[in-house]
Amino acid sequence: MSWRVIARREFDDSVRSRLLWGLVAVVAVMMAVTSIVPLAIPAMDASALMGLGAASEFAAMLVPIVALVAAYLAIAGERESGSLRLLLGLEPTRRRVVLGKFLGRGAVVAVGLAIGFVLASALSWVVYGGLPVGAFLAVLALTVGLGISFVGIAVGISAATPTRARAMTLGIASYLGLALLWDLLPQGAHLVVEGSPPGGSVPAWFLLLEGLSPSGAYSALVTRALSGADPALPGPEALLGGPVPVFLEWWVFVLVLVAWTVVPLLGGYWVFERADLN
Amino acid sequence: MPAIETRNLTKRYGKDVYAVNDLSLTVEEGEVFGFLGPNGAGKSTTIDVLLDYIRPTSGSATVLGYDAQREAEEIHDRIGILPDGYSLYDRLTGREHVEFAIDMQGVEDDPDRILDRVGLDPTAANRPAGGYSKGMSQRLALGMALVGDPDLLILDEPSSGLDPDGIRDIREITRQHAEDGGTVFFSSHILSQVEAVCDRVGILNRGRLVAEDSIEGLREALGTGATIALTVDSPPTGLTVEGLDGVSDATVEENLVRATCTDPTAKIAVIDRVRDAGSAILDIEISESSLEELFAEYTHPDEPAPEVAPATEASPEANR
Repeated sequence: MSWRVIARREFDDSVRSRLLWGLVAVVAVMMAVTSIVPLAIPAMDASALMGLGAASEFAAMLVPIVALVAAYLAIAGERESGSLRLLLGLEPTRRRVVLGKFLGRGAVVAVGLAIGFVLASALSWVVYGGLPVGAFLAVLALTVGLGISFVGIAVGISAATPTRARAMTLGIASYLGLALLWDLLPQGAHLVVEGSPPGGSVPAWFLLLEGLSPSGAYSALVTRALSGADPALPGPEALLGGPVPVFLEWWVFVLVLVAWTVVPLLGGYWVFERADLN
Repeated sequence: MPAIETRNLTKRYGKDVYAVNDLSLTVEEGEVFGFLGPNGAGKSTTIDVLLDYIRPTSGSATVLGYDAQREAEEIHDRIGILPDGYSLYDRLTGREHVEFAIDMQGVEDDPDRILDRVGLDPTAANRPAGGYSKGMSQRLALGMALVGDPDLLILDEPSSGLDPDGIRDIREITRQHAEDGGTVFFSSHILSQVEAVCDRVGILNRGRLVAEDSIEGLREALGTGATIALTVDSPPTGLTVEGLDGVSDATVEENLVRATCTDPTAKIAVIDRVRDAGSAILDIEISESSLEELFAEYTHPDEPAPEVAPATEASPEANR
């Protein structure tokens, strides 16, 4: 059960190092601000649901960086400092070390995001005078899911890299590639295939490609949750201008998020298992 | 069943850098084995293989009968380690480190007993380890190694950073562990730190085992020991120190008399001789020959020994 001891230590340490509270503060403030942005746009008939949508759009970029920062040093940091040598003396099975680190940091990010999100929503509730509870809970769960995905990526990177510097380089690269620049891929493909940038309605493959990154999958799932709560908000049918094919069902994007969690973690573990740690 | 056994163990980096080269070593159960060698000889690399931190290029290693690579779990349940180049968790207190080790091992143990045994007082134990001196860190790490009463202790440069008190405590703990029937594998680059406790030593140089013997056997084979330097008021007349048992070499320069003693008790005899020769002794300085010196003796017996290093000063191994 040493993976549980490792996970618990990771969590305790995040409380002690104030990492957890920093995370809560950043998430709460940023999400609170973005959730009231719709009020500032005069042409819009702003609602709490729209506030939630705005906050989640921002979360698609904020959560990855928060999760990466919280977890990229999980193993590489200990490897560079040398405390990994004591840790492996107590638990030589590297699989359990990676598992414990992932669960511990995952819990930190999940708890931090949840508290931050709830605090931000409290403001939203006051400002809009109400909160659609179903949609709110769905977006909360999805945001936590996105966070866990990037913890998987970060711990995978951390397991595969011998130094802090390299873990940071890979962490930044994965943030740029998966959270910021991914959208260029479907946009560019649309330009090549259709001869123009995407307009009013888009082809189904465009939505799939967009949703294959963790942040893209998150956004796709949020869109479905919000339009489910209020049919006036555009769902995938509106974007496609027709029926939704099976490969754009919600569970496809859940699988994408799960894959982005598990595959990097296993890849990182694979490298770590074979590494000389000296 | 030997406590540690390596067979033709080789660890190569790149094409032709051999950290450990064809090492075959046996440490019997219940013995205190000194693993000696200058910095960069491959001691830590060997230990890292035993702990499954690194994987050998060829050859094999077993610890307590278990394969070091395939059965690391079984090994780590039964051994305590003080690795080289470790660091502590800055935000955990000393006590929490020990509690962490107890939880990780899943054993019942009393943190106070451990802390007391390694001489970390309660005030220090309740402070975060980030502020610990090297000596306190060593004591704490040793304490973590003792958790769960291991059969075998593997100590990599345990004395580095410790003051004489700490070095004595390490010796005491090592001895106690051996008396209780345990095995100790004690690596060091300073001969004097292992000679007091070790039944047998192995000397590693450039990744190869160059000697495996008892301390006495080693000293005899190498013919060096401590150097005693006496400052006298006037040069002694008609001094014959060289004939003494256990004295291998002696020089007189102005008011300084130097003698190399292979037998510790010979030092007193040298002092007596100098006094008998009519000189008053103003100062006495004794320095143990360092292992590097022994190596010089071993590999270049004709060259004069290099500058004598005081034996009590342990510099941390700088080979990683």
